[in-house]
Amino acid sequence: MILALIDNALLSVIAAAIPASTVVVLAASGCLLGERVGVLNLGQEGLIGIGAVYAVIAVTSWGVGSPWLGMAIGVLAAAIAGLLFAIAVVVFRASQVLVGLALTLGGIGLSNQLGTNRNGTPIEVLFREVNPGGGLEDGGVLEAFLFHDPVVYLAYLVVPALLVFVLFRTRHGMNMRAVGENPAAADAAGVSVVRARIGYTVLGSALSGAGGAYMVLSFTPTWSPDIARGRGWVALAVVIFAGWRPFRVVIGALLYGSMISLDATAQARGWKLPFLEGSDLSFFLSMLPFVVTLVAILVPAGAAKLGLRAMGTTAPAALGVPYSREER
Amino acid sequence: MVGAVAALVLSGLILLLTGRNPFRLLAEAIDAVLGGRAGIEGTALRAIPILMTALGVALSLRMKVWNIGSDGQFLMGAFAAVGVGIHLGGPGWFVLIVMALAATAAGALWIAVPALARAFWDVNEIITTLLLNFVAVQLVTWSALGFWRDEAAAVIQSTEKVPHVLPSLPGTEQLTIALLVPLAIAVVLAWVFRSSKAGFEIDVIGGNPRAAVFAGVNVRRRILVVMLVTGAIAGLGGMLQLSAPGAQALSSGFSAQFGLSGFIVAALAGGSFRGVIAGGFFIASMFFAGLVLQTKGLSVFIIFGIYGIILTGIALGEVAARYRLVRTAPHPPAVLTPEVPT
Repeated sequence: MILALIDNALLSVIAAAIPASTVVVLAASGCLLGERVGVLNLGQEGLIGIGAVYAVIAVTSWGVGSPWLGMAIGVLAAAIAGLLFAIAVVVFRASQVLVGLALTLGGIGLSNQLGTNRNGTPIEVLFREVNPGGGLEDGGVLEAFLFHDPVVYLAYLVVPALLVFVLFRTRHGMNMRAVGENPAAADAAGVSVVRARIGYTVLGSALSGAGGAYMVLSFTPTWSPDIARGRGWVALAVVIFAGWRPFRVVIGALLYGSMISLDATAQARGWKLPFLEGSDLSFFLSMLPFVVTLVAILVPAGAAKLGLRAMGTTAPAALGVPYSREER
Repeated sequence: MVGAVAALVLSGLILLLTGRNPFRLLAEAIDAVLGGRAGIEGTALRAIPILMTALGVALSLRMKVWNIGSDGQFLMGAFAAVGVGIHLGGPGWFVLIVMALAATAAGALWIAVPALARAFWDVNEIITTLLLNFVAVQLVTWSALGFWRDEAAAVIQSTEKVPHVLPSLPGTEQLTIALLVPLAIAVVLAWVFRSSKAGFEIDVIGGNPRAAVFAGVNVRRRILVVMLVTGAIAGLGGMLQLSAPGAQALSSGFSAQFGLSGFIVAALAGGSFRGVIAGGFFIASMFFAGLVLQTKGLSVFIIFGIYGIILTGIALGEVAARYRLVRTAPHPPAVLTPEVPT
């Protein structure tokens, strides 16, 4: 009986983690795309904010009636911000760290400013849950596991599969990885480093923007200031944990998401902290996602030092390094 | 420098686009800051936490290490100081000294995991230091609303008040001797980098870590120690902020993005400690002016935007500094060189 209860609680925590981590899966896939061609985009928090606020504006002020179109507008806004970032760091070869942080600050400032009068306004235009059919509507854990918005399926199945296919099964993907590992060699072989870097940084930023749009059009579903709340940084961390592999990104994001849903489950079930009598458990649990994410970054690095090669994959060699033909 | 000026001009343009007159706002800001004793002291008061975080970041930037977690180290310093201050009895000066020591240790401890990971496992310190900011914010909120909560304070939820404050600076109304601490640290750091072996080695690591290894520098130990010192300075900053008259307690809004401002100052100064002092007072005056301007309908979020533009300006300025304009002959003669077969 008790065992069944624990099992059920654990399963429902994991099931609830799926929608909670969708933002991180999308943003981390976007980071991975940029980092594979050598561009580290620290502006994730800003991109998520921009994607979210423009999706909100589209569906509340511009009368957009379809969540897909609302998301497309958020994605477009994030892509434009990503293009500005890409021009600064690829064409002008400015420091990726500084401009990335600038994008985070500017994006948070811009989205909070635009969202000022929309705090807490409920959003009517939402993604609807898909019923995969087959008579699985048991109202329990199975349903929680399988029934989601279409965006969730896209994020967990389509995006990683596409990334794996393009990166590791096509010639174009091999060229992309070459640009991230050794841009001078790729350049000599006739691959346009500038085009690959700008293109995939913009595409990656668009994915992060899609994550932000998903938050307001399905997950929360309302605008609140500082909407990303660290999810952008978690996404950057998840890519390191994943060793720059698309499907491991999903695992890392779910790890973070389970900590988030653990918090929600604990509150719903009134769990108590075993120490600090009378203190609220939720403060402790709200620290956990970030602590777990930090540990998750350290594990592959530590494993690599101990000689366990399978756990870790090293970063693309040219990650964060501006490429200049004159200096190769 | 060029970048910073360009960024400010651009910020002015943005203000203009949002329908505000940048010159009038600037005049009002200058008047608020320099137009009297309250403005100057208010600016100096806000400069202290910014200077402390900025000095730490500037120190790590000399080594090309990015500590973005100074907000967390600052908060943990204040957290340790409150813990000591409300539980330890004894004469005021004694408690304050223990608070300062605890805060310094807490700041160093908070960066210890990222520092060890960076020094020995080559784990990128940008993300690890930043993630700990979120943990620190939650811990401070927990202490203010939970285990150290002041039951008497009903309106603003905070911890109990520490009964001791730092002695005030002679001849001022609001300032304490806390103002002298960042100035002293800047002098010490400037001396370290001008005349000590450690400072020289840190600069070598910043310039070329491989060369430093070949020159026999213990790079891992230097990275570890510098990062710990960085955290310690930010942690002490938390204690200084907490021990100002009127503060004395920890609430969830204790750090008004001081770590972030400190980072901007350090990036502006480009590793110069004199530059940090100047930049710290500059950003603090922006903060103080911002308080005045907020009542005139300018939101805090625009300050975030301006920070973003300043950072972009610095980054682009760095690139521009690598190039030099060279005057050439008006019409350089076209010379056709025969292709050399390679």
